[in-house]
Amino acid sequence: MRKLAALLAVLCLALPASAAATAPPKRIVALTPFAANTLARLGVTPVGIGQTLGGAERFSSKLKGVETLPLSHPNGPNLEQIASLDPDLVFSSSTWAKGNQAMRNLGIRVVIREPRSIAGAFADTYKIGMLVGQKHLAREVLKRMRARTRAAESGISSHPKVMVILGVGRTPFVMLPNSWGGDVVSKAGGELLTGGVSSGSGFERISDEVVVAENPEVIIAVPHASEDDIPSLAEYLRSNPAWSSTTAAQSGHVYISVDNSLLQAGTDIARTIDKVRRQYLQN
Amino acid sequence: MTRRTLVFAALLAALLVATLASLALGAVKVPVSEVVNVIFGNGHGGPDQKIVESLRLPRTVEALIVGAALGIAGAVLQGALGNPLASPDVIGVTGGAGFGAILIIVLFPGSIALLPLSALLFGLLAAALVFAFAWSGRNRGSATKVVLAGIAMLSLFTAATTGLLAAYPDKAPSAIFFIAGGLTTSGWEDLETVWPYFAAGLIVAAFLIRPLDRLSLGDDVAASLGSRPQAIRLGAGIAAALLTAAAASIAGLLGFLGLVVPHVVRMAGGTSSHAYVVPASAVGGAALLAAADTLARTLRAPVEMPVGPFMVVLGVPLFLWLLRKAV
Repeated sequence: MRKLAALLAVLCLALPASAAATAPPKRIVALTPFAANTLARLGVTPVGIGQTLGGAERFSSKLKGVETLPLSHPNGPNLEQIASLDPDLVFSSSTWAKGNQAMRNLGIRVVIREPRSIAGAFADTYKIGMLVGQKHLAREVLKRMRARTRAAESGISSHPKVMVILGVGRTPFVMLPNSWGGDVVSKAGGELLTGGVSSGSGFERISDEVVVAENPEVIIAVPHASEDDIPSLAEYLRSNPAWSSTTAAQSGHVYISVDNSLLQAGTDIARTIDKVRRQYLQN
Repeated sequence: MTRRTLVFAALLAALLVATLASLALGAVKVPVSEVVNVIFGNGHGGPDQKIVESLRLPRTVEALIVGAALGIAGAVLQGALGNPLASPDVIGVTGGAGFGAILIIVLFPGSIALLPLSALLFGLLAAALVFAFAWSGRNRGSATKVVLAGIAMLSLFTAATTGLLAAYPDKAPSAIFFIAGGLTTSGWEDLETVWPYFAAGLIVAAFLIRPLDRLSLGDDVAASLGSRPQAIRLGAGIAAALLTAAAASIAGLLGFLGLVVPHVVRMAGGTSSHAYVVPASAVGGAALLAAADTLARTLRAPVEMPVGPFMVVLGVPLFLWLLRKAV
């Protein structure tokens, strides 16, 4: 009996300690727009959000006033700046691999959340919710996201052949099915043209000969440019000798997407699919 | 038949094979008969004709011209500076051209059509700065001063390029092919813009063939023979700058070719006479770049890889083998 009482006493003493150890992190930094916006949806305000120089990240209005951390190669954020925020948890991207290691060396917990598919975005929404102690809310958010995405994908009337290209000008890379943009366009009903190539990175430079041979009906370029650049870039792409004979160029279906919605995972998946269908695929 | 004639004939044969391979091979299989028909104006229309006529033919011609230009630029620079390490990189042109191209890609993507022009102008600007510094103060126009000013300018522009890429990492993929060196399928447009620079560089280089032979005897001997060493060096620098800047504007940074090809033809031919080295470097450079570009386009087709690494893979073993024999 005395032993049992002692065991209970030990358990009672240990419980608050273990609860503290699993307490959700309070000071969170989100270096990717996906993580930042997911936190906003879960009612969690991060202490810092990442911003690439000249990048056009689409942040939730709930994140107004949150300190922004400029990101640059190879570290991502400035380590002194991020250390001064004293974060418990940083949501980062594999793009900043060197910086991630440096942050871990500083004793900061770093988690990579950088989905490259819609299914991955759903999974990561739940994982982020778990990590920040908002599992139930994450489940609700996820339910709504799935329903809206299903609605956005319904009623597809045609499946045009689409080439999605990353970068500007002379040596563009095509987005493959395992890239964010590739997955979104496929879900929007586009038949993604890739020349049969696969790559772990989700992007590959393919021969212009293949572009001519496969003859896309729609070309969507994601060039890291601004709204002002759209007319000149569209004209440049249309007059590219390699593509000028394609159905896309001849029928005026060469589009420029400058808002990063096809480049980086977002939380507004249904809206992105809807935009691709309405503006680009017209299906 | 002399050794140099044999080597020149071998280079011409290599050029012919590389040109035919470049036209016949690609990511899409086009029957050789159709390739021949298209080239002689008897194509049957459709995608095959478009591929050969608008993509492969201009690209092959670009490879030949760029390769020849870089070979000539390296040959005249090495002769003028009396330095075996001289290459188009040494007069800062590639550094300047790289900066000009990345500037457009990163900061002015909407003006991407101006990329070749920007690369050309910044390449020529870098060379002009090198010449201005090298031809001022003491020992003006000396080979050492040209090389040191060139290395400083190369470092300056390379640092600026790296800074831009570090600041805008999301735009780096678009820049990789230019930095690694690679031909693109931009039709005849690029050549239409820069051919006068190729032509001017070629003409100046042709006029320098005899003076460079005299300069190889040393500045004092050349001067006693009536030549002006500093003027020859300046002329060689201008020719190399024009050729290299025009080449970089089309094919990115391929300075390695200008370093290695003149050495290879010199060692293989057993002579340093510029009447042989300059044209042989042109033919060798053209053959090497056309072959490397064909490999870069076909080895992992339909994926295209930068041509720079392939050129190094093709050129270095031959260079090292010849170097071993020569030493």
